[in-house]
Amino acid sequence: MTRIGWAVLAGGIALTTMGVALTFTSNHETRPAFTVAAFGSVAWSFLACGIVALRRRSDAHFGLLMSAVGLSWFLSSLTESNNPYVYSVGTLLWSIPLAFFIHALLAFPRGYLETKLVYGTVTATYALLGVGPLLFTFFGENSGCDTCPENKFVLMDSHVAGSIVGILFIVIGLAICGATIWVLARRWRAASPPLRRTLAPVFITSAIAIALFLLAAFIGAVSPRVSNILFWLLLVAVASVPLAFLSGLVRTRLARASVASLVLELGEAANPEATRDALRRTLGDPALELAYRLSDRDRWIDVSGEEIDVEAERDGRRASFVERDGEVVAVLLHDASLDPELVNAVSAAGALALARERSLQALRESESRYRALLDAIPDLMFRMSRDGTYLDWKGNRADLVVPPEELIGANARDVLPPAVAETLLEGIRAAIETGRTISGDYKLVIDDVERSFEARIVRDGEEAVLIVRDFTERERLHEQLERERDFIRTVVDAAPSFFCLVDKDGCIVRYNRTLELSSGRPDTDAVRGQKLWDVFIDPEDREAVRHEFAELVASDRPGEYESHWITADGDLLLVAWTVTPLTDEEGRQRFLVSGIDITDRKRHEEELHRSRIRIVEAGDTARRKLERNLHDGAQQRLVSLSLGLRLAQARLKEDPDEADRILSSSSEELAHALEELRELARGIHPAVLSERGLAAALETLAGKAPIRVDVRAPEDRLPEPVEAAAYYVVSEALANVAKYAEASAVEVSVTRMNGRAIVEVADDGVGGADPMRGSGLRGLADRVEALDGVLRVESAPGAGTRIRAEIPCG
Amino acid sequence: MALAASACDYSNVTTVLIVDDHPSFRATARALLQAEGFDVIGEAENGVAALRSAKELHPDLVLLDVQLPDFDGFEVCARLTGNGGGPAVILTSSRDASDFGPLVAQSGARGFVPKAELSGAALIAVLG
Repeated sequence: MTRIGWAVLAGGIALTTMGVALTFTSNHETRPAFTVAAFGSVAWSFLACGIVALRRRSDAHFGLLMSAVGLSWFLSSLTESNNPYVYSVGTLLWSIPLAFFIHALLAFPRGYLETKLVYGTVTATYALLGVGPLLFTFFGENSGCDTCPENKFVLMDSHVAGSIVGILFIVIGLAICGATIWVLARRWRAASPPLRRTLAPVFITSAIAIALFLLAAFIGAVSPRVSNILFWLLLVAVASVPLAFLSGLVRTRLARASVASLVLELGEAANPEATRDALRRTLGDPALELAYRLSDRDRWIDVSGEEIDVEAERDGRRASFVERDGEVVAVLLHDASLDPELVNAVSAAGALALARERSLQALRESESRYRALLDAIPDLMFRMSRDGTYLDWKGNRADLVVPPEELIGANARDVLPPAVAETLLEGIRAAIETGRTISGDYKLVIDDVERSFEARIVRDGEEAVLIVRDFTERERLHEQLERERDFIRTVVDAAPSFFCLVDKDGCIVRYNRTLELSSGRPDTDAVRGQKLWDVFIDPEDREAVRHEFAELVASDRPGEYESHWITADGDLLLVAWTVTPLTDEEGRQRFLVSGIDITDRKRHEEELHRSRIRIVEAGDTARRKLERNLHDGAQQRLVSLSLGLRLAQARLKEDPDEADRILSSSSEELAHALEELRELARGIHPAVLSERGLAAALETLAGKAPIRVDVRAPEDRLPEPVEAAAYYVVSEALANVAKYAEASAVEVSVTRMNGRAIVEVADDGVGGADPMRGSGLRGLADRVEALDGVLRVESAPGAGTRIRAEIPCG
Repeated sequence: MALAASACDYSNVTTVLIVDDHPSFRATARALLQAEGFDVIGEAENGVAALRSAKELHPDLVLLDVQLPDFDGFEVCARLTGNGGGPAVILTSSRDASDFGPLVAQSGARGFVPKAELSGAALIAVLG
């Protein structure tokens, strides 16, 4: 018992003694024994309840209030005093216990006031019951007791004022009763079943007491006699409230007794659900949940294995943690109103069983994890006995050689081809005997398709587990990849480009056949690992190439360079090259240097460029020459002619003979001018060529040549540019013959062959002509090449000169 | 012409040196100018001969072809008139004056007469 409990007990005894003494010595108490018995039993039922509640920490506050009700109950015995002052104080204080009672009721079961309304109601109660009797007394309250001592607090005897105060008293009292009922009703509605079980006895007895009080208040106005009876009944009802509370405690005590049987139940529980149900029964909470804490993570799983959140308190549910050996193993999620000591007792009793359950639950979880892992493996698995009998299997039905119902119980020899079966049995024996993992490959024909399998055999006690993986598809992909690789290798080797794979520092990894052939350096270990530029690049360009390569690698963008590469024989090749970053088959960062030999192309381009310049220059030279010829020739002659004519005109009258001579001279001058103009026109373009064709034009040329020229040319016309080119070839050749060849005869022939015009000029002169000497032959070659033709000069010393032009005829 | 507007009197000019590389022109020009009262005192066929003849003969007027085998007429003109005391120079050519742009005006010559329009009157007109 607590110290407060002892104090209450002592106070109770002292006050009882006082009450009994006052009652039995009272001169205005008609039934002292009855009064003492009735009031004493009510007071002591509260005191007893208070003392018991004080012993439990969770109910201590409530116990204090109960004790206050019991102790204050004795104050009413002051009205039994024969001393008018004591009596007067008694009349003021007799209703105080009722205020404590309302307070206790509204604070039940937690012991404190929860809302403002409740707090207000309790305050109003204290005010009403503290001040009300005083006001009543001021106005000469008549207790209906004639023998009672004089009330010393009466100021004026006013029946009217007394009635007004009485009515006010009743109105406020009713309001308090209403508020109390309202609060209790609301609390009842919100209560969970376990809480209702706790509330029910107290609420029911309280409700009866309040009902009786109200009834007494109303009926008291009409019939004091009935009211009197009701008052006594009210006393009984009030006295039963603490008893009802005590009954709750007893029930808890009984529940604690059932904890022992819980231990037995938990011991026999077959699964977590049964454990939970036993806990629910013991604690009387049908909504109770049980969750286990997983040891490896901060997670909770309920009895069905689902993960749940655990919070200390939420929605009227409270989490009570169950510990074993200092470790939290489980949590009970229960109604917050459950007696904490009972919950603690249950936790302590269940800890062992729950710890065991948790281990099982963890085991189940890890098993389901492993099973999920196993299910995720696509491989076929067999459990086999030492002699090769299939015991169990797992995997895809379609991967089996025979249906599973035929497989289980059958021997590998009956199912697999003999060679495969023998290998498998050997493997099983080896695995069982050595404990090592045995692996191997085999092929099987399933549904007319040959499939490749990889098998691994591991020992499992006296049995073996065979794990089989189908890698048909992988093998097919591998072969396809190989073929593709061969194809690419062939393409790379056959391509006319250079390919050289290098690392980021420019060290050679390997290169293709084209580069091998062009460079004259076989792709061997001697070359591999060396810098690209040290092997393939002309020393003069090495530094530039090294720099350009580093730039391309760093910038990671495409770029093209032209450099001189060098062959093993020291020949220079002009190569346009670029660098492409790539990843090789082993995932390493590589760079592909790809190049094209543009030596010939470049030469042709340059030749073409020079030829264009020559053609343009030749045109300019021809125009300059023409202008000069016109100026120096025909124009001068025409100027002289003009002056001559003017002179002749001036002399005509004075000296007709002189004028005649001048006119004759002018006439000659005019004839020369005309001849020169004709020559010039012919030089620009031979009219006979365009009008009569190549054969006639060549005959004209032959006719003007200083030596004998034989011409053979077809009469049919060729395209105009071809005829012009052929004409100038012959014209220039004949001019050269006349200048240098010292020949006696020349043969000119034009033939058509395979869509080409073949023009040949051959003389029997001294030969030794240099085709590149002078601009004449070079200009002819340009003209012929402009038509995609070829000009060749054969001129061995002493063997004459033969110029041959082949010009496509379109 | 601007240069011909000089106040000098050229009515006494009678001596002429003809410079041209074409003999037929030289002959015709000599006959034409002599017929109009000019005294043709010499002929030259290139720039070097022209400078030498001008130094020896001191002609009043040099009729100078623009196109010569060695120097061109503008060069010869510049040397003849370079120190101020040289003969009057009239350029001539079978081309038109417009073919030479500002060269004639910058050359120090009195003016230009196209060959086809050559006459004593034309020279007098240029000299003013």
